[in-house]
Amino acid sequence: MTVDPEQVAHRVDAEHLELGGGLEILLAAAFERVAPGGVLEIRTPSRAVALELPGWARSTGHEPLEQIDRPDGHVVTIRRGSSKRILAGPLPAREAGPRLRNGELHTADWRGGDPPAEPDPFAGFAPLGSVPETGGSTHRWRLSRRDSVWADDIGELVDQASGQQWDASRDIPWDTAAGLDDTTERAVAQVMTFLAQNEYAALYVPAGFLPQVNPQLVELVLWLGSHIHDEARHIEVFTKRSLLGGRHGYALASTELSLSTLLEEHDFTASSLLLNVLGEGTFLDLLRFIETHAPDPATAAAAGLAHRDERRHVHFGISNIRRSVSIDPDMVGPLVTAAETRAAKLVSLSGLSPVLVESLTIMAARSLQPADLSDAAADVRSLMQTMERNRLRRLQSCGFDRATARHLSDLHTPNLM
Amino acid sequence: MSAAELRLGAVAYHPRIVTIWERFRTYFADAGVPTDYILFSNYERLVDAVLDGTVDVGWNTNTAYVALDHRAGGRTRILGMRDVDRDWATVLVMRKGQQVGSVTELTGRVLALGSRDSGHAAILPLHYLAREGLDVASCRLLRFDTDLGKHGDTGDSELHVVRAVAEGEADAGALSAAYFSAFRAESVPAVADLEVVWRSPDYYHCNFTILDWLDRELSERWSRALLAMDYDDPGLRTAMELEGVRRWYPGDREGYASLQAAMREQAMLP
Repeated sequence: MTVDPEQVAHRVDAEHLELGGGLEILLAAAFERVAPGGVLEIRTPSRAVALELPGWARSTGHEPLEQIDRPDGHVVTIRRGSSKRILAGPLPAREAGPRLRNGELHTADWRGGDPPAEPDPFAGFAPLGSVPETGGSTHRWRLSRRDSVWADDIGELVDQASGQQWDASRDIPWDTAAGLDDTTERAVAQVMTFLAQNEYAALYVPAGFLPQVNPQLVELVLWLGSHIHDEARHIEVFTKRSLLGGRHGYALASTELSLSTLLEEHDFTASSLLLNVLGEGTFLDLLRFIETHAPDPATAAAAGLAHRDERRHVHFGISNIRRSVSIDPDMVGPLVTAAETRAAKLVSLSGLSPVLVESLTIMAARSLQPADLSDAAADVRSLMQTMERNRLRRLQSCGFDRATARHLSDLHTPNLM
Repeated sequence: MSAAELRLGAVAYHPRIVTIWERFRTYFADAGVPTDYILFSNYERLVDAVLDGTVDVGWNTNTAYVALDHRAGGRTRILGMRDVDRDWATVLVMRKGQQVGSVTELTGRVLALGSRDSGHAAILPLHYLAREGLDVASCRLLRFDTDLGKHGDTGDSELHVVRAVAEGEADAGALSAAYFSAFRAESVPAVADLEVVWRSPDYYHCNFTILDWLDRELSERWSRALLAMDYDDPGLRTAMELEGVRRWYPGDREGYASLQAAMREQAMLP
């Protein structure tokens, strides 16, 4: 086939580039300047390249047309194929990127507004700003509606989570935990076992939701990732403290029953209420109590660092529910039902396990002397009151009225989490 | 599933053949020409199956097509072929810097060839090189007869060819331009220091073949459905990519003359 020079839409000089050595990159860019059906002319001084180009053209969806050998080199013409290289529209024009704050790029600033309310549930793992190719994914993301999972300050929470990471091997003064008497050490081991056992549920619940989240709601993906990582570290730190003194604790059946009901809740917002607001919220007070009454600096540090993480988790829960309830006040009904359903499954639990109450008391008393025990028992009773008071406050921050908040608080598990 | 109107035979040279034909089977059913597929382990069995009516359509290599057409006394028809089948070519590769001005300079040298039943990597190179004046008998032929019965579909013998040339066991090697490009695209280390020194004239490669007496209305309906496949359809793209086709064409006999001549010369058509 002879190609009329006027048919040539674009010319490119390959100079000394070869296929496999960068020429294909130059040609791909050159074909972007040629419409489908248009002709690209390539000049090359290499006979080997000229001989190889027709095979390359066909394998990349173009039609080799002609090869002319001339004294000063070789000219190969190729007609651009009509099929799309990528099954998607053109990429958007270059635009201004997200703004920096004092040289920092914050997650809250990267998209310039809220995510779409109903992102395409079939868009696959398309990163923020990308154009998804059609046909790549057939998976449907179950959590795809922004308003049922979002929190207004989620970008800030993600950045806080990244900025407040800590190391359970090195950031705890582990050598300060040595030397406790056997009774106190046993109480500490039981309290630490209880915490670690509960933290498993706090990890498994967000981990169950994470693979359901539409990646278009990327801030939530990052948030849940950080939540899971935090809980993994809490399991690690409390297990380490429990093991360090050589004493062992019981993984209580009543705790197991309570936690199993958290795993059975498959609605994101209901889970946010039960785990983040009620469970982790109540744990905030427990962790503060342990930090204050810990018999050794290592235990205090572990509880203190975990407390800092749990505050973020509780903040997310309150923010998520406040947003849901303000957008749709009818959400209150299903949320109350979720709490009632869980409470119905836990009717066999009647108060915090005596084993835990004893352990908290001995840990705080650091002895079995009646005077010490009396003070410590008063502190534990006071903790229970603080938990209830703060639970009510948090529920009201979520947007529940006082009566509903009281009802929800009363329904909360005696296991605390 | 509606009963198949047409049975198609293909050779299972790779597990992806099942992926391809499961998708195409759905496509043909949706297009109103329900088609079932039967897989064979080699092209000789497939040719037998077309001739004895076990299958109506054979998805043949060029070597299988020429053999089938010969045994059917020329009473075959082609229902379609891929875009890439219409200008298939063989290339001769050598180590960089060994470029020859003419293939006759390969007289007395070592020439690596793919499977002896491969049209592109063995039968046609010998035919074309002889026509261009190379005394093939003077060359030592280093043959890689792997995957016999697959007619070079697997590319395995061609990988042996490029490795033999790269490692200096052979001076030059013959393989399809398509496989050489694929090796380049996959960054196969052996091809990094090879270059093309000769390219054959274009010839045809695979096609869908039927015997002449298959119902014409049915075969034309099937052919129309085949040609209507759209590479830009996300539901078809993966299967078409696996099949190495962007567009189907009607096909004709013209591009098989050289292979027919070559197979006669090499006593491959009894």
